[in-house]
Amino acid sequence: MKFSVYRYNPDVDKKPYMQDYDIELHDEDHMLLDALIRIKEHDDTLSLRKSCREGVCGSDAMNINGKNGLACITKLIDLAEPVVLRPMPGLPVIRDLVVDMTQFFEHYNSVKPYLVNNDPLPETERLQSPEDRAKLDGLYECILCGACTTSCPSFWWNPDKFVGPAGLLQANRFIMDSRDQATEERLENLEDPYRLYRCHNIMNCVEVCPKKLNPNAAIANIKDLKIERARETKTTKKQIAIKSI
Amino acid sequence: MRLWLSQRLTAVIMAVYIVLLIILLAIQQPVGFDVWHAFVSPGWFRLITFLFFISLFIHAWLGVSDVFQDYIYNLKLRAYLQMIVDILLVVYLVWVSFILWNI
Repeated sequence: MKFSVYRYNPDVDKKPYMQDYDIELHDEDHMLLDALIRIKEHDDTLSLRKSCREGVCGSDAMNINGKNGLACITKLIDLAEPVVLRPMPGLPVIRDLVVDMTQFFEHYNSVKPYLVNNDPLPETERLQSPEDRAKLDGLYECILCGACTTSCPSFWWNPDKFVGPAGLLQANRFIMDSRDQATEERLENLEDPYRLYRCHNIMNCVEVCPKKLNPNAAIANIKDLKIERARETKTTKKQIAIKSI
Repeated sequence: MRLWLSQRLTAVIMAVYIVLLIILLAIQQPVGFDVWHAFVSPGWFRLITFLFFISLFIHAWLGVSDVFQDYIYNLKLRAYLQMIVDILLVVYLVWVSFILWNI
């Protein structure tokens, strides 16, 4: 099977180049990651991240024939030859298919991706009704592979300012959590022209997500909540004003 | 949020106006100067048309500002371009009102 792989080793190469491989696959090679490991048997200078090899860890996200995805759950049989493999776009390349995800995780950190609850710790656990728990479906499954954020033009143009679909999906995950008490702060945290509102709904994120999640819907939900919140504050202000009269 | 919301609201106003205009045109079919003149003359028609153009210019202002923020990193240049757009849009608005109330 024919492959064309992006190669770049900043220590040696002046600039990136595409290297062609034509490799003999074995019967048990079904997924793209199997083929990449096969390539590495011939050429161990090729660098890539991988770990769980079953679409759970999110390490081997890359640009496959122009579309971001996980190598380990991409079937070889579905790919047109030569399979063009590049690192995820919009992030600095460390080497070959390995990108520097610092920026990505900075945005992730900026939305405080953890439960904020100042009540004293209960004896056992913080309980949730099944209905409240169901609100987290489609949000908690994110594996932070970065496929969505690095396929988003708004992130390409403003990588330092726009949180990106993955980060915003996480923001919504904690906004929607009935056990979280920082909803107000979380909504306020996204109030500037870039962090949230650079999403213009082109839905590349939805198309590439290997877990079939919908960051676009999550972002829309945050926007809706912000409007609701603004209306509520307005009414309260009015009520206070009326009372003071 | 206010900017984002204004963009949606102006879009809704424009969408409603366009649908309304198409329906009115289909019903009244103002062919010929006199009929057309009678069609565009009522005060409410001028008013909603003016409202449409205000929405259009606000919408355009927001969109162009977004594009400038995305592509033009030199702050001075961005401010200049933004100023040109601002002036243009204000001129257009005056021009539109002039046309609408002079037919």
